[in-house]
Amino acid sequence: MALLEIRNIETYYGPVAAIRGVSLDVEEGKIVTLLGGNGAGKTTLLRTISGIVDPQKGTVAFAGAMIQGADPDAIVLKGIAHVPEGREVFPFLSVRDNLRMGAYTRRDPDGVAKDLELVFGYFPILRERAELAASQLSGGQQQMLAIGRAVMARPKLMLLDEPSLGLSPLLVKQIFGIVQRINREQGVSVLLVEQNARMALQVADFGYVLELGRIVMENTAAKLMESEDVSEAYLGNKQQGVRGERRWRRKKQWR
Amino acid sequence: MAIALSESSTVPTAANDAAGSTVPQLFARALTTWSGRTALREKTKGIWRSVTWQEYGEHVRWVGLGLAALGLKPGERVAILANNGVEWVEADIGAIGAGGVSVGIYVTSVARQVAYIVNDAAARFIFVEDEEQLDKMLEVRADTPSIEKIIVFDMEGLREFRDPQVLSFAELLALGREQDTKHPERWAQLNAIPRPDDLAVLIYTSGTTGPPKGAMISHRNIVYQMTHVTDAYPVNDTDNHLSFLPACHVFERLFGVWLSIGHGMVVNFAEDGETVPENLREVQPTIFAAVPRVWEKFYSSITLAVRDASALQRWAYKLALAVAYRAADAELAGKQPNVGLRLARWVAYWTVLRTVRQMIGIDRCRTCLSSAAPISPELLRWFRALGINMVEGYGMTEATGGITINPFDRYRLGSVGKALPESEVRVSRDGEILVRGPHIFMGYLNKPDRTAEALKDGWLHTGDVGSIDADGYVKITDRLKDIIITAGGKNITPSEIENELKFSPYISDAVVIGDGRKFLSCLVMIDADNVARFAQDNAIPFTNYASLTQAPEVVALIQREIDAVNKKFARVESIRSFRLIDRLLTPEDEELTPTLKLKRAFVNKRYGDLIESMYRAA
Repeated sequence: MALLEIRNIETYYGPVAAIRGVSLDVEEGKIVTLLGGNGAGKTTLLRTISGIVDPQKGTVAFAGAMIQGADPDAIVLKGIAHVPEGREVFPFLSVRDNLRMGAYTRRDPDGVAKDLELVFGYFPILRERAELAASQLSGGQQQMLAIGRAVMARPKLMLLDEPSLGLSPLLVKQIFGIVQRINREQGVSVLLVEQNARMALQVADFGYVLELGRIVMENTAAKLMESEDVSEAYLGNKQQGVRGERRWRRKKQWR
Repeated sequence: MAIALSESSTVPTAANDAAGSTVPQLFARALTTWSGRTALREKTKGIWRSVTWQEYGEHVRWVGLGLAALGLKPGERVAILANNGVEWVEADIGAIGAGGVSVGIYVTSVARQVAYIVNDAAARFIFVEDEEQLDKMLEVRADTPSIEKIIVFDMEGLREFRDPQVLSFAELLALGREQDTKHPERWAQLNAIPRPDDLAVLIYTSGTTGPPKGAMISHRNIVYQMTHVTDAYPVNDTDNHLSFLPACHVFERLFGVWLSIGHGMVVNFAEDGETVPENLREVQPTIFAAVPRVWEKFYSSITLAVRDASALQRWAYKLALAVAYRAADAELAGKQPNVGLRLARWVAYWTVLRTVRQMIGIDRCRTCLSSAAPISPELLRWFRALGINMVEGYGMTEATGGITINPFDRYRLGSVGKALPESEVRVSRDGEILVRGPHIFMGYLNKPDRTAEALKDGWLHTGDVGSIDADGYVKITDRLKDIIITAGGKNITPSEIENELKFSPYISDAVVIGDGRKFLSCLVMIDADNVARFAQDNAIPFTNYASLTQAPEVVALIQREIDAVNKKFARVESIRSFRLIDRLLTPEDEELTPTLKLKRAFVNKRYGDLIESMYRAA
């Protein structure tokens, strides 16, 4: 049994179907990435898992328990932490208080204090700026804060929504490195949504490609990387045409 | 030769009195008849844009004069590698008007296939749609020495690109326009060059074995079809046609391009394959000719929509359809339904069936036609029950389209109708359908041996097995080479079984296998959308297409559909085993024909292991 088992999820915004029947697994201790273009339904899927929106159909099983339709706070308690797109840190709270907010549902002050040290260990810059308001951090630091805040909930599964958004390549590399370390050292499973497919496939064990609310491809990250469709559509590898350049895209066949 | 001009434009008999003339002459007459009226419509950036006959004619003239100025000589070939659209027909008719021969190439072809056709036809010019198609041509240009110039319709992304062999469609038009001003008499002179028995177009048929063959179609062939196919599929200048099947195929060429020139209907080009349902509702065509696959799709979309409807709606649909079936069956039996039944049908139409027709987008259709492949009689009966004036035709590229047509008012279910006027159909001693008449092609280009096999003493050997009844109604059993003889020596016609299978909303296409085997089996291509919906409704987890085909519940679903079909056939004709094709096939795949049917021979070869596994397991 996988840690997270999504079965036949359909999620609507009003009459518009954003997810049209998605089933996927996140195995314990793995990093699974979800690739897809704009509007494919990646963010909606994460929001459905964390209970921010409710699916019209389908089930979400986490560690064996059905959680679809449950309130977000109950889902956090079960061990799923969501790092939303665009960070969403509390701008007027200090860095330290932001991190404490991540542990809001926890009742073990000792553990929380230990985890605060753990987060500072992963992100030393946050310790340096612990007393600054979060709004004063740079984008990369805010992203670190958002991830740190999620770690503070002691999750079994972390949902990461586009952590690379708006960050320099160097920072992206650094942050992904830390995500990988958290995964390995803390045994936190990760479901990673990314536009930066190259980076995502480098750190992930397994990947799914979502298009228009449906999964069109699934495979190990290594295999996906070799696929012509993924290579061209998401990794930006242009095949060299006879003219040297090629602007048009091959029709995707997903195989 | 006199060209009759009909001034009364209500029902122009245009092509009907033009036997013996040529495509350029008919086109010239169309221009004078309908000059300021709309000829073509195309959706660009979300807006339907109209092209009048006058504008269409101008572009055709400039294309033709431009090609002539670049050195095109009468009888030389001009290829078109593009999707249907205004430029496609302008290039096509322009090339023919200059005395050239037009050759359509499917955009789904890979560079190697494009090169084959270009070389086989010895094409001197090629029109390509855009950068993508241009790249195919450039890739093989070293191997295609006959090509003088490549003309690009859409220059997007190519502004910086310079190549002495490549020019834009706009540049060609400008060149033609310049010629037109300098030599205003030139176009009429060029138009007069082709004689009725000269080659007008080459239509390449995707051979299931071996390379494609170029069927040589003369002006006379085309004019004959233009004139006679309308006996049972009447078309006039108030009609709207939606063009979405590839114009390279004889079917769309006839029912779109040629009929519009002969009868003045408006051709509306769909944006692409995926937008056909929306385009259909926007255009609301008044005539609709399509291949069975399209009709099957309409049927399954409605069947599934009804399944999702409320109990009241389902009840109303069932009731309305029952009434409509009774009325339709009475008419099919040659009887006038009684007053009560007619009244009931009227109510059924206004309460339910009209909505169904509107959902599909064919409520305005006066006449619909299915042809180019066998269709299930049950499906035709359903459309008749909806009150659709549905005719079925039988034809092939080698007969320039139609051979027989089943007229609506004298319709016989299960038959493909009677031979077109001035043509003959007979059955050979071994049961093969033979055809003779003005529509029979000139032979295959560069393939005298294949031509000799197809044409014997003026009779086209269709390769289809069938029979003709006392009234001349033709019944097609199957392709001669597709007939299965089982190990037990039983003759089985797979297409009958396949048609019943395709009637299921979950089965997109199927290939029945069993030649020399102990029992019949089949390979099934599922309808991805409908099966995905089934899986969703029944909480069957799946990820991609392959996993959908592997879900045990889906296999069981298809088993149920096959069981239902088996009940309709004799025991020896039962399908005892089947496999699902686990790849989502697209027109780019060699397994499919341009009209999205599975190619039997190719499938047999490609899925040989899968097929063997069915017989090993048994």
